[in-house]
Amino acid sequence: MLMFLRIVCQICFLYLFALVGNMLSGWFHLPVSGSIIGLFIILGLLHFKVLKLSAVEAGASFLMSEMLLFFIPSAVAIIQYKDEILRHGSQFLVVILLSTITVMTVTGVVAQFSIHKLAKHKGETVK
Amino acid sequence: MIAFICILFTVLVYYLSKKIYSRIKYAFLSPLLVAPCVLSSMLVGFHIDYSDYDSGGRWLSNLLQPAVVGFAVPLYKFRKVMKKYAKIITISMTTGVSVALISSGIFSHIVKLNDHYLLSLLPRSITTPIAMAVSVDIGGMPTMTAIFVIVTGITGLILGPMIIRYLHIKEKLAKGLLLGMGAHGAGTSKALEFGSEEGAAASLAMVLAAIFTLVFAPILTPLILL
Repeated sequence: MLMFLRIVCQICFLYLFALVGNMLSGWFHLPVSGSIIGLFIILGLLHFKVLKLSAVEAGASFLMSEMLLFFIPSAVAIIQYKDEILRHGSQFLVVILLSTITVMTVTGVVAQFSIHKLAKHKGETVK
Repeated sequence: MIAFICILFTVLVYYLSKKIYSRIKYAFLSPLLVAPCVLSSMLVGFHIDYSDYDSGGRWLSNLLQPAVVGFAVPLYKFRKVMKKYAKIITISMTTGVSVALISSGIFSHIVKLNDHYLLSLLPRSITTPIAMAVSVDIGGMPTMTAIFVIVTGITGLILGPMIIRYLHIKEKLAKGLLLGMGAHGAGTSKALEFGSEEGAAASLAMVLAAIFTLVFAPILTPLILL
């Protein structure tokens, strides 16, 4: 029960920073979303030891482990686009499929290659 | 009332599909694929409007915001590793973001989608709120972009581990970057299944992909439209 309350409080705390981020983003007409701004604020507070890791860790871990849940309502939104999906669905799918495979392959290969290159350069092994 | 029932059912269906997935571990049974199918059939079956469903669903979608803020935790925990590999991470992410934008454009041209859809597809590999912002910025349709982001998430969730196996990617950092770059938050949740270091790399990739795309998309879009 205590853990539950702790997680709820920490989620509210994280939410607060997302809202602050939203406000800043609105005031200064920043193109970045509020949650990314909130992320950097929390990161700064942790870095300068204003905030202890234990003050946000439980809530953050909970949110991250259940993150797929938060995508589900937007995925259900697909039923609003019946016409578009019927007309262009297979084209959308081909683009997304091929592009995702390309992006993942290139990113993975470039990362792996540069890790090995760096390891050789420094004469050490990277795990 | 309907809002509350919708939240309850969404959580219930999510929870059950997660249980099934944890038993069977078959990629196509991912909760992100199964739960929306079940829920949208329920909406159609019971003649419930999406807007009514979303009056509750919105509450769950909104939790994505504190979740993104929460990514500060893995980033903070692994800051030393990140610093050590800053160069690798920058190179991989710059390449990843450019390839994401350009390949979405090229494949859209190949399947002959019009420019409206093409522009909505360009920012599909980054986290929803920023993808929608980029979509508006370059002249796409933000709601369509949100759908493409989700479909990308599902695709990446299923294909990511296969690509990692097929390409023999062994380094945790490379696995995380691939998943976070290719499939934003959904990929990151998959990376967390691999381990905490992969998860941290994926969180970083997700955040950097969003920021790089904000900068690169307006620059690359005119070239892609040529």
